[in-house]
Amino acid sequence: MTPMEKVLGPVGPGPGGHWGSPEPIAVQTSGLTKHYGKVTALNDCTITVPEGRISALIGPNGAGKTTLLRLLAGLARPTSGQVIVNGVTPHQDSAFLADIGYLAQDIPLYRRLTAEDHIRAGAHLNPRWDGESVRERLTGLKIPLNRPVGKLSGGQRAQVALALILAKRPRLLLLDEPVAALDPLARKNFLGLLADGVEAGGLTVILSSHLVADLERVSDHLIMLAASRVQLCGDIDDLLAEHRILVGPSKDTAALERAHRVVQATRTPRQTTLLVRLNGPVVDPAFQASEVHLEELVLAYMGEDAPPALTHLTSVGEEQ
Amino acid sequence: MTWLVWRQHRIQFYVGAALLAAFAIIIVITGVQVADQFRSAQLACAMHEGCRHLGGLFMGSRVVGFMVIATLGAPVLVGLFWGAPLVAAEAEAGTTQFAWMQSVTRKHWLVVKIGWMLVAAAIWGGVISALVTWWSSPNNAELLNQFNPGRFDIMDLVPVAYSLFGMALGIAAGALIRRVLPAMAVTLAGFIAVRVVVALWLRPHYLSAVTVFYKATGGFNPPGAFWQIAQGVVGPNGQALAQPNNTPYIDGVPMTALPGACAPVANGPAGPTGSCLQALSHFRAYLTYQPADRFWTFQGIESGIFLALAFVLIAITAVVLLRRDA
Repeated sequence: MTPMEKVLGPVGPGPGGHWGSPEPIAVQTSGLTKHYGKVTALNDCTITVPEGRISALIGPNGAGKTTLLRLLAGLARPTSGQVIVNGVTPHQDSAFLADIGYLAQDIPLYRRLTAEDHIRAGAHLNPRWDGESVRERLTGLKIPLNRPVGKLSGGQRAQVALALILAKRPRLLLLDEPVAALDPLARKNFLGLLADGVEAGGLTVILSSHLVADLERVSDHLIMLAASRVQLCGDIDDLLAEHRILVGPSKDTAALERAHRVVQATRTPRQTTLLVRLNGPVVDPAFQASEVHLEELVLAYMGEDAPPALTHLTSVGEEQ
Repeated sequence: MTWLVWRQHRIQFYVGAALLAAFAIIIVITGVQVADQFRSAQLACAMHEGCRHLGGLFMGSRVVGFMVIATLGAPVLVGLFWGAPLVAAEAEAGTTQFAWMQSVTRKHWLVVKIGWMLVAAAIWGGVISALVTWWSSPNNAELLNQFNPGRFDIMDLVPVAYSLFGMALGIAAGALIRRVLPAMAVTLAGFIAVRVVVALWLRPHYLSAVTVFYKATGGFNPPGAFWQIAQGVVGPNGQALAQPNNTPYIDGVPMTALPGACAPVANGPAGPTGSCLQALSHFRAYLTYQPADRFWTFQGIESGIFLALAFVLIAITAVVLLRRDA
């Protein structure tokens, strides 16, 4: 069983439902836009994340990932558009906040307070709080509970913050580059923990990261941002099924470009390689279609700075 | 939430409590000495007929006297070291994103945090004021100077209001600027500016001052520790005369406005007589003052002004923090 199957297995149908029937939705946005002064951080973002997914939020630096997460958490207000999280618009209400776990990129903890202090603070500030799980986890990781967190290493601080965010028992977990500070083993363990949490039910995760390989291991859903816009949003299996790499002779590809949406084109004098989003079967027998890997797909869209409606050709390695 | 506030700020609390305790010990010990000396001087004075002033009575050491005057600056300390960092330090460290993502609304966070800070500020101002007021009571009885800026501003009600204002100013500056040091600088400058403007330009006009006219040759002394706003002399036609400055004068009337018969009087020890006295009788002196019994009214009005300012600053803080993105 691959990690993907392990995660996907129990995730699919909701209670009494099956694939194809409307699934409960954890996050839905439409036309979500955020300006900071003259800068557009997020533009016309429409996404849907069904409950029980681990969604990978991917995009180049400055693509709007943090802005999107902050809008979902209710820490920022949209300039326009709508957000629905757990069935409601994010607002200042303890019941709403209790269902959201948000961990910012810079891992905000009180540097002078110890992990134990944070655990106790959490107990005072949250209706559901599993402080014991944090103690167990940190003790297991040999992280001292009684040392000010400012004196811990960056990775240890991240572990404290992640354990705290899980202790809140949220329904939606929003993690902004949570594993960046962790070593590969710690990353693997943490992502496994997330997968277990989702498998146990009642949890949806959106996590941003640049480490596509890590995300590929646990994610079953993808949100791809580039240039403040959504490039892709959907279940990874569906997205991979919609895309193909076409390899064929170096010739006029206008017909192909009309039929499908070319995401990336690589041309050499002898051969043309196209990564396309399919609109039906590929009929040109001169081109050979092969499946796309997630990393190829992500890299192709990262080079994509144009709005999704337009075809934008990226020519790489063109000789002559 | 209160637990977190206590855990975050308990060191500040210990420092503040230690400072207050040290101040209280010094004030109580020297205050008892001052009160003793005052009482024995009063007794000694009562045995001598016509002893109206206690003269060069010992009023505590210079150092303690300086400390007492220095409590003028005490209210701004809570604004600088508690108020300004309250929001700004969390914004700088990003920990608002920790606090505001617990199951506690920003409003709740704000109410509890600011509430405790204001309580602390009121206690700080109140304890210092109580100590200073008690310590100064012999001075006040002797010197009748309760309206002096160095006295009025460090006693009774107003230090509490100043402390609440200082705290609110610090919190608001921190919330708006979101950086600790600039917020502290703005707090200090703002506090001094507002205090100076109110003390120098507003306070004399809380109630319209009383003006009493009397014969220039006579005298007038309102009862108790009144606050003199102005005094001067008006001529026979009611015109105000410039206050004599470097020119010889008699009973406040400059020589230039008097007949030559007065010249020897101005230069010699003899009192005015004859035509000079006659000329002087046409002049009247006046005293503009705030009566002593308005002291508490003035304390109340001044406190009200600073409490209102504190309220406005807290309201601004709330609007900024609740409306703005975190």
